[in-house]
Amino acid sequence: MKYPHSIVCAKMRKGYLTLVAGLIVASTPALARAQFLHPRISKKETTIRNVVILPAKVNVVRDSMKGPEGMAQESDDLSGRVEKMLADVLEKQKHVKILNTTAQASGEGDAQQRYSIADFQSKFDDLLPRIMKKRSDVKKARFTMGDEVLNLNLDKSADAIIFIRGNGQKQTGGKTAFRLMVGGPGEYLMLRIGVIDARTGEVLVYTDPTLEGDPVTAVDRLRKALENGFKKLPAVAM
Amino acid sequence: MSNRKTQSLIVFALCFCVVLPWLARVATAQKKTAPVEATPPPVREEFKFGKVDLEVLEQVNLLDRRFERDGMVLEDEATNTYLSKIGKSLIPAGLTLENVTWKFRALRDPQPNAFALPNGSIYVTTGLLALMDNESQLAAVLAHELTHVMARHTYLFNRSNRKKFLTMNVIAIVGSVTPGAVGMAISLAASIAPFIVMSTISGYSRDLEREADHRMVDMMISAEYPAEEGINALKLLANDIEGEQVHLFYNDHPELRDRIAYLTSYLGSRADKITPQMELNRERTAYFRQMESAMRHNVQLSINGERFRSALYFAQRLVDFHPDSENLFLLAEAYRTLGPRSPRLTERELTNDAKKDAAKKLEKRTDEEIEREQLATPAGQENWKAHQQKSEEFYRQSLAAENPVAMAHRGLGMLYEKLDKKTEAVAEYEKYLELAPVATDHDRIQRHIENLRRTPQ
Repeated sequence: MKYPHSIVCAKMRKGYLTLVAGLIVASTPALARAQFLHPRISKKETTIRNVVILPAKVNVVRDSMKGPEGMAQESDDLSGRVEKMLADVLEKQKHVKILNTTAQASGEGDAQQRYSIADFQSKFDDLLPRIMKKRSDVKKARFTMGDEVLNLNLDKSADAIIFIRGNGQKQTGGKTAFRLMVGGPGEYLMLRIGVIDARTGEVLVYTDPTLEGDPVTAVDRLRKALENGFKKLPAVAM
Repeated sequence: MSNRKTQSLIVFALCFCVVLPWLARVATAQKKTAPVEATPPPVREEFKFGKVDLEVLEQVNLLDRRFERDGMVLEDEATNTYLSKIGKSLIPAGLTLENVTWKFRALRDPQPNAFALPNGSIYVTTGLLALMDNESQLAAVLAHELTHVMARHTYLFNRSNRKKFLTMNVIAIVGSVTPGAVGMAISLAASIAPFIVMSTISGYSRDLEREADHRMVDMMISAEYPAEEGINALKLLANDIEGEQVHLFYNDHPELRDRIAYLTSYLGSRADKITPQMELNRERTAYFRQMESAMRHNVQLSINGERFRSALYFAQRLVDFHPDSENLFLLAEAYRTLGPRSPRLTERELTNDAKKDAAKKLEKRTDEEIEREQLATPAGQENWKAHQQKSEEFYRQSLAAENPVAMAHRGLGMLYEKLDKKTEAVAEYEKYLELAPVATDHDRIQRHIENLRRTPQ
């Protein structure tokens, strides 16, 4: 059976466009994954104006042919960078004020203060798998950390507290060559960010920005991923 | 390649897949039955640091600092000094190890556990401290962990893992470059390889754990601790209060009942005497006195960590030991937060399948949802009624005791709020704020009062 020339051309064009679109998607370094907003945020009943960012916990490993190796120092550096960059993105794009990360929030105070922060960080760690199991339920206002968040005694004007978690993988040259031959996941950084109401403990926003490529050296890609991750969050009216 | 040759290669590759796991199991089983010689102290003299080991050391030093920075270490001087005293009594005099600085600390975690970092930092969780009955049992835990450091287990384990991962990856490369069915068969073997590697890794780890268990007995005897308390410590660990000890095929530690069995047989005639009960009771009292503060902290951590049955178990132990206002308050808190849950898991709930189901359920539902579900059942209603009565009773006892803690008023307020007794709740909250005007939860309680006043009776 022979197709007319116009149909063949149309088919080729369609195939070519699909291929190009596929290549663009595959080569985009920063991928914004889903973001979910609490109904009070999406209906603009609540505006997040002032936030406190708690210390991020981002862990990266170096994947080599001999298995994964820890990168404790790089993980600490990256955690700090993610925190700062998120603060910058929220300030510049959404006009959200970042309240001074007080000694209490950074856990630099006395033992009791460090304990409070640590307990809330682990409370978020307990809640996170449940959120991730059904992220869309953030839209149904299903998740809360309880009003114990008030015990953190943060700045009275704080509307929300931001928790950042992340994990990533850097690959050695050998492992990269191995991946090219055999396949498998490449270098990446996946963040999981929860914005919690500072008065009620409800999860107001959940987003998991992801980027491909070396997580340790990412700067522009990280910024892009964070910008995309908070795209839906309504900006504060100036 | 001829058809015949291809066929035999496929058969070989498939045999490889089937036989290798079996061989791995046989090898592990043979190692399991091999006797372990007692040669205290368990130091690996021949161990030499390589580049890879020094990298591990650098990572764990950072981890140590992270534990401190993140508020995970219990900053209780008395508890940490006590741990150090016991730990150092187990280390042979004059023993110095390259790149080891001994540190013994309590970790703020309600899950019973202990671990050693290869740099000599030994952590015991508050959950484990609260579970032990006496100093000898704690010494057994520390002796086990000390062996891991002295025998350089972490470094050996890491070296072994790296070799296994490399082998697995080489198989995968061979599979990818070999054409046709043979390549597919090797790729299949490579995809199964992680499971083989996992089982050999855990087999190796089990051997190291077994060595640590045996050396623990030797070290306890050398330090004149009753070694049979090591076995009793394992029996306490087998008490699965939260129903979370799920058996997986690649568990690192040998099963607790196996450990109890082989240690009982190893100890055999080496046990000079079985410590009289009276002496143990005396030791228990001294231990509880020393650990009371860490145990109280652990009850609070258990409640925060939604380990309500553990909170009740440990609070009850504290009250049995010393029924003062703070311990009674903790017991009341434990009953209040236990809510509609049963205080102990049933035999059926403690089966492996039931525990797996419960873990899955816990992953999907929030604590509030589980509580609501249980409240909807007659058993849940009955539990809640009984627990709120006990809770109220213990709050009252706490307030009637010498030096009453103000927090008992807050607890009563929360209980009454849940029971919709608004006036009583407000009165208790106000009493609490009056007695503790600078409490860290002042704002939260004030907010509760305002909400209660806003809503009609």
